[in-house]
Amino acid sequence: MTIIRRGTMTAAVMALGLTLAACGGSLTQDGSGKDDSDTIKLGMLTPLTGSSAAIGPHMKDGARLAVDEINAKGGIDGRKLSLTVEDEACDPKTAAAGAAKLVSAGVRISVGGYCSSATLPTLSIFEKAHIPMIIPAANSADLLAEQRRNVFLINGTGIQQAQAAAAFIKAGSSKGVALIDDNTSYSTDITKRTGDELGLLGVKVADHQSVTAGESDYSGAVNAVLGSKADFVYWTGYYQEGGLLIKQLRAAGYKGRIMVADGSVDGKLIEIAGKSNVQGVFATMTQTPQTIPGGEAWVATYKKKFGSEPGPYSTQAYDAVRVAAEAVRAAGSTDGQDVIEALEQIDGFEIFSGPLNFTLQHTLSVGGFDILVVEDDDFVLEK
Amino acid sequence: MNHLQLVLSGLFVGSFYALVALGYSMVYGIIKLLNFAHGDLYMVGAFAGFTVLSVGAGALGGGFVALIVIMIVAMIATGGFGMLLERVAYRPLRSAPRLSVLITAVGASFALEYGIAVAFGPTPEVYPVGVQDGTLHIANAQVTYAQLAMTAIAVVLMAALDTLVRTTRSGRAMRAISQDPKACLLMGVNVDRVISRTFFIGSALAGAAGVMAGAYYGKIDFLMGFVIGLKAFTAAVIGGIGNLRGAVLGAIVLGLLESFGVPTSAASGVTSSRSASSFSS
Repeated sequence: MTIIRRGTMTAAVMALGLTLAACGGSLTQDGSGKDDSDTIKLGMLTPLTGSSAAIGPHMKDGARLAVDEINAKGGIDGRKLSLTVEDEACDPKTAAAGAAKLVSAGVRISVGGYCSSATLPTLSIFEKAHIPMIIPAANSADLLAEQRRNVFLINGTGIQQAQAAAAFIKAGSSKGVALIDDNTSYSTDITKRTGDELGLLGVKVADHQSVTAGESDYSGAVNAVLGSKADFVYWTGYYQEGGLLIKQLRAAGYKGRIMVADGSVDGKLIEIAGKSNVQGVFATMTQTPQTIPGGEAWVATYKKKFGSEPGPYSTQAYDAVRVAAEAVRAAGSTDGQDVIEALEQIDGFEIFSGPLNFTLQHTLSVGGFDILVVEDDDFVLEK
Repeated sequence: MNHLQLVLSGLFVGSFYALVALGYSMVYGIIKLLNFAHGDLYMVGAFAGFTVLSVGAGALGGGFVALIVIMIVAMIATGGFGMLLERVAYRPLRSAPRLSVLITAVGASFALEYGIAVAFGPTPEVYPVGVQDGTLHIANAQVTYAQLAMTAIAVVLMAALDTLVRTTRSGRAMRAISQDPKACLLMGVNVDRVISRTFFIGSALAGAAGVMAGAYYGKIDFLMGFVIGLKAFTAAVIGGIGNLRGAVLGAIVLGLLESFGVPTSAASGVTSSRSASSFSS
């Protein structure tokens, strides 16, 4: 008896919930159909919880800086920008839920996306709502596989990073290279493409390992690298595991060169690995204010406003907002289709990585990957 | 391939898994609860040690004795935390359906993870002192003194637990409750207190593992307990959950499997993942 009653109750509650959800959906659709609101809503998905929770504030503050600067100059045609941030958690399910929230909040352009694996399921959600996406950080080639028209990447792609890495490895390795990734979309994309590029250049890939993110002991991978006699290690995952891997490689007596990809370029990498272990470690990285002439002024403004140093992808998030604003200005509307066309026609708009032109695949035409090297407590440009 | 090196790495990693797996197995043996927050107690232990170190680094100095002191403080703190968790989250649900308690355990796990994330920030912390020191060469393999010391501490703790459960009065009460809690109650055993004590011991062991991991690997973060929690659970199941000696054996088997799994599958041309080898096993 109780079971039946509970069942009907559940059904009733669910029906009520569905009705409410349906109402909510239709209400917001009515709202987003109009284009006469005063503010232009930008939405950002960025990790605020989960393993990459440290990145979120950097991206949010970068975007906030651009929004405030544009609003201080009177906005776009008298309309102010506003920024809504949702958690991506570096997790596909959380990201999809966050994207749905942004869509129902009436966001017109998305300027977020950090972890490629989490950004992937949000592409179709934004596409169905006719929302252009200017993705500041996520850069796996998987994001481009379906050639969605609303997807634009302003970080260099895995292909560009792999080319830069392969060229540098060829110059620095004689006995063979070990590629190590962490099984995420972003990381495996780079190792796979680097492997392909190295094959074209005739460099031997001595070993290819995939480790599990979130572990502390990488002795298995370390022993395999030592056994393979590789004299160059390229790590393509994030800094938390990267720091441990470098520390354990050096502790096990590995003497060769080490290079890390852009997800590992963070001061914490140096702290985790230990300063003495990490000296001379190379990195493939997009341009940052620290490596760009004239970037100091930007860093100073950022520090004054938020009381902390800009972190990874602060600049890209800042640029994503500026590119979005520029596209709205050029299009003279916030209609998704118009903005996408305006983005495709952007010609030479100055962002941190150089003058912006999108390729047919909606990636940067100039990929600006530099090779950095660790000196003392910092990543500096390799000369 | 250097087999001796693989065995040594496997034993070292296995001893970490064992300390965590023991708590899993003990709690399951006594109240048939899969305490999914157990891995997070390992994390809490690491952070407790980190706090003690940051506050009292000057007074304690570096070195091995300091590590032992920190470990004992962290073990007591983590044990207390485990008792609190039992009192607040699990005891009110003692007679509830098994699934409710399981879901509560998952909730407790999130509460611990994000509680620490709020308190210490989401960025990983680095232990102020490390224990990197001399290396001992055995044939063509190498093992650091720190690794040897940690394995020794783990073995001592495990032996102490074994003695406690097998020979003391309180151990006898634990074993009795695992067989029939109701009968124990009727026989005048204070069941609540024994369960509390079980949580204290299990959590303290996880806390010890957390401090050792922090000191040895250097990096701690609020999600560090997740993967090791899963592995310890696997180890406890391999050894027969509820069986303490089995849990230790399972953990060592798991450590060795992972250690050998990586190079073997790499040599056979398969892109390897140590966790794939442990979770498919």
